[in-house]
Amino acid sequence: MYDDEMIPDGGGAAVERSVELAASAQTIWDHVTRGELLGAWMDGDVVIDARRGGAIRMTRPGAPDVWGVVEDITPGHRLQWCWRTDDGLPTMVEIELCPAPGTTTLTVRETLLPWRSIELPPQWTDGGAPSAMLGVARAA
Amino acid sequence: MQAHDIFSALSDPTRLEVLGRLVESGPATATELSASMPITRQAVAKHLAALDAAGLVDRARSGREVIYTFDPAPFEGVLAWMESIGTSWDDRLDRLRNAVE
Repeated sequence: MYDDEMIPDGGGAAVERSVELAASAQTIWDHVTRGELLGAWMDGDVVIDARRGGAIRMTRPGAPDVWGVVEDITPGHRLQWCWRTDDGLPTMVEIELCPAPGTTTLTVRETLLPWRSIELPPQWTDGGAPSAMLGVARAA
Repeated sequence: MQAHDIFSALSDPTRLEVLGRLVESGPATATELSASMPITRQAVAKHLAALDAAGLVDRARSGREVIYTFDPAPFEGVLAWMESIGTSWDDRLDRLRNAVE
C-alpha cells in the first residue's frame, strides 16, 4: 500500500507506508518502543524514552543526529514523535499497529512540519550522551 | 532546506491565494493582482517578495512594473524529499519484517 500525498492549505508533505506482518502486535510494539530493537530496523543507534514527553535520539554514521520528543503513546497501539535533524527540518512520525488474527498491520506516516518549531531543552542538543539525555528527560 | 522554505512561504492563506492566481491566470504585476483581490498593492508586493525568497516566483522587469511568473521548480525539492523519505521507510520496514517474522 503506497499513499504519498501533499496536504493542501499550505500544510506539509506526508509519506505513508502500511505493511502486514506475520507477528503479534506485542512483538512489533517491542520493536517500536525498545531502543535497541527500534534501532536495528531504523538502521541507527536509537535511544527512546517511550512515554509522553520522553526523548528520542537516533545517531547514524555519516548522517546528522536526529533529536526529538515522544508526543503521544497508546501502549500496544500507537506511538507519535516529532523530531528534527541538525538541518532543522522538523517532521512528525506516527506509527500505528492494527492487530488481526495471525498478523499485525503497521502503518507509518511521516509529515513535514515546517510551520511548527520543535523546541527541545538545550541540554538535549548539546551533544550529551544518550544516557545523560534520558536522565534529563526523566527529571523533566 | 528547500521544502522548509516552500511550506513556510505557503503557510499564509493570502500568500497562497496570490500564488494561486499566478498559477491560474498566468504572469501578472502586483498592481494587476491587487485589483482582483481585497488587499492593497503594498500587501500583494510583500507576499510576492516572500514567494520570491522561496523561489516560487520569477521576476521580470517591464518598464516601471515587475511581472511575476509562477516557478514550479521548488516543488521538485519537496517531491524529492517525499521520495527519499519513502525509500528509507521501505528499507526500514523490510528490515522490521526480517526481524519479527
